[in-house]
Amino acid sequence: MTVATRRLRAAEKLLADVHAITSKEGITPSALHAMKLKLVALAARVELFPASDFAMPVAGGRSHPLLVEDGDGHGLYLTIGLPGKEAAPHNHGIWCINASVSGREHLEFFRRTDAGTQPGHATVLKVGEVMVEPGNGMAMADHDIHATRVVGDRPAVGLALYGYALVRFPSVAWYHPQFGSMRTTPSRRHAAAPA
Amino acid sequence: MARPAKKHRVKIANTEQTIECAANQTVLEAAITAGIDFPYACATGNCGTCTSRLDDGKVSLLPHNDACLTPVQLKAGLTLACRARPRGDLTIRWLGRSSA
Repeated sequence: MTVATRRLRAAEKLLADVHAITSKEGITPSALHAMKLKLVALAARVELFPASDFAMPVAGGRSHPLLVEDGDGHGLYLTIGLPGKEAAPHNHGIWCINASVSGREHLEFFRRTDAGTQPGHATVLKVGEVMVEPGNGMAMADHDIHATRVVGDRPAVGLALYGYALVRFPSVAWYHPQFGSMRTTPSRRHAAAPA
Repeated sequence: MARPAKKHRVKIANTEQTIECAANQTVLEAAITAGIDFPYACATGNCGTCTSRLDDGKVSLLPHNDACLTPVQLKAGLTLACRARPRGDLTIRWLGRSSA
């Protein structure tokens, strides 16, 4: 059996396990934690993710689909971030789980502190952080505000499982502490209607 | 003691305004600070909202997502204002809203 076939079977098993968890208790903190443990275990099977199978980004980062479910299902990706890649605090409206294959990515979590009554204005407060590196991962709920940054001099390679595939992502809200602002990018929910 | 970063003159062609931008500052940061309604969303090179054309001058680009600015676009004179630091005086125009 080829590596690609074994990788696909492992991805299908992960998604089956995830659905078994969520069908029992929905999307709860404990369910997200259980899903994270499954994803960390998959990411630890580094032989399934040889660098030769995944093109490096030209710049910044790139996501390679591993298994994208039909309709309005989940999306599992192998993500590569080059050293220095960062994402400002943002909320993509759907839960997400990450696990590291290699390299290190630092995540910070924020809480919005303004009333949300002034369009385009927002203030956020850092409330936590985690280093995602081999052997661990992180899980976040639908509207958690988070920022990411690849640290060190090696690319960060990881697995990312999203509640929706990237092509069907909701609107993303970006927060800018230095500007006291927020901006949103359009939802992609209309782009690929559920089958 | 660190010397202050050199400042360059950046002309925003869409608004015909010329602002100062330090060599260690992005064009977007300087524009927002100057009160210019420059289009942006992520401000970290991940969304492409601030994609702009360099009419004149050169910039240094901070890390960005290659889905937002491809090498072909880069060669064609496009840049991301949120990732672009001036290497000298320059003229830049944002795309996709009041100009193309």
